[in-house]
Amino acid sequence: MTGLTVDIGAKRFASAHVLGEIRFTLGTGERVAVLGDSGIGKSTLLAMIVGYDTDFEGRIIRPDGRAAMVFQTPRLLPWRTLAENIAVTPGAGTRARARELLGEVGLGAAAEQYPETVSLGMQRRAALVRALAISPSLILLDEPLVSLDPETATSVRDLMVQILDRTLATCVMATHDRREALAVADRLIELGGRPARITSDRPSGLPRAERSNPRAIDDALARLFPSP
Amino acid sequence: MRPAVPTSRRVAIQAGSLAGLVALWWAAAAAAQSSALPGPVAVWAAFLEQVATDGYFGHLAATLARVAAAFLLAMVIGSALGIFLGSRRLADHLFGGWLVFLLNLPALVVIILCYIWFGLTEVAAIAAVAINKIPNVTATLREGARALSRDLDEMAWVYTYSTARRIRHVILPQMASYFAVAARNGMALVWKIVLVVEFLGRPNGVGFQLHTYFQLFDVATILAYAIGFIIVVLAIEYLLFEPWERYATRWRR
Repeated sequence: MTGLTVDIGAKRFASAHVLGEIRFTLGTGERVAVLGDSGIGKSTLLAMIVGYDTDFEGRIIRPDGRAAMVFQTPRLLPWRTLAENIAVTPGAGTRARARELLGEVGLGAAAEQYPETVSLGMQRRAALVRALAISPSLILLDEPLVSLDPETATSVRDLMVQILDRTLATCVMATHDRREALAVADRLIELGGRPARITSDRPSGLPRAERSNPRAIDDALARLFPSP
Repeated sequence: MRPAVPTSRRVAIQAGSLAGLVALWWAAAAAAQSSALPGPVAVWAAFLEQVATDGYFGHLAATLARVAAAFLLAMVIGSALGIFLGSRRLADHLFGGWLVFLLNLPALVVIILCYIWFGLTEVAAIAAVAINKIPNVTATLREGARALSRDLDEMAWVYTYSTARRIRHVILPQMASYFAVAARNGMALVWKIVLVVEFLGRPNGVGFQLHTYFQLFDVATILAYAIGFIIVVLAIEYLLFEPWERYATRWRR
């Protein structure tokens, strides 16, 4: 399994120059958070990395194997139950396995419910299970905790980290939340300017074992982003 | 929001209302005392006579067969065209004007032209009905295709859905309500046009019988065919379309 190489020269939408040069490589299993304000082009970058958007200058070399993506909205099929949503995904296995995986994240009782009848937090968990179910070598997370209340966000985030630990996948997470970035990523890439470019690229310096500890995250925040 | 009425009460209200309509008809016929407005009893007698002597159910079956053929043809061709136009912007720009033209072409003109061009044949009759309906189906399904979710399309792409899987699990469920609207409106339009087509140029069917008994000024028999046909169309609506629509939208909260 190889890592990920992102080598983008420019990305434009009609006359708008959205992304400038963005170049980085990730080792196998490495987790990076791409930080930047809303609207800077993080979702566009993820769509290019996953291969859905190919209209740009440059190239992207993805690891061998499947890619999974967890979107800003859960993007489950509303007319399929949670278990069916997972089972219809190519490579995810049978419905029985889907139910089993849902059970592991506390959604066993909701497995045969339709997405619109469960909470947003539960839908996001199901979307994470879908990503896990295909055993990806690359996982892209696009603001996966946005619009969740703090308690639900923490539990979904812990689940996300568990899933990353299980799959050993290379991971790119787009977020505007530094705390969230530190809880998940080994490395932080910040985007800024117009067109957006990399303004900093550095390791978080926070060992994986300490990322669920709020105090360790506070210390890392103070060290990496000192207030002026 | 209006309070929901329990099903049993709703059925009772509807049945009572229909009974009221029949009573009104009865009273009007009794007051008129004219063969131009026969009462329910006279229409029932005409129905029984038609069943016994003039192949009532045969004519009904001939009409329903034409309705089914024209309906299926219009749904298949109209859906394919609508989805094509809704998903290809250039094609929509090119052919959108044609669609507006066809939508406004009077049904009678299409029927006459088909009979002139293809003769008084079964193919011409069914084609005329289908051509009348296709633009409506196309316009409805075009809206459905335009409204397809880009988010779900991206999800299906990322998770490597095959074309067949994408059509079955992502596209068709989104189109279901548009199919239902097209089918319902289609049924309502098709069966009316089939009667005109039969009236003008077929040797059997309910439209042909209406023509015959119009010339004989036999209003009771005309009503016997009309009411029988309405009952069949309502049965299709309640036994086929409604359950299907309920099934297709079962996931909605």
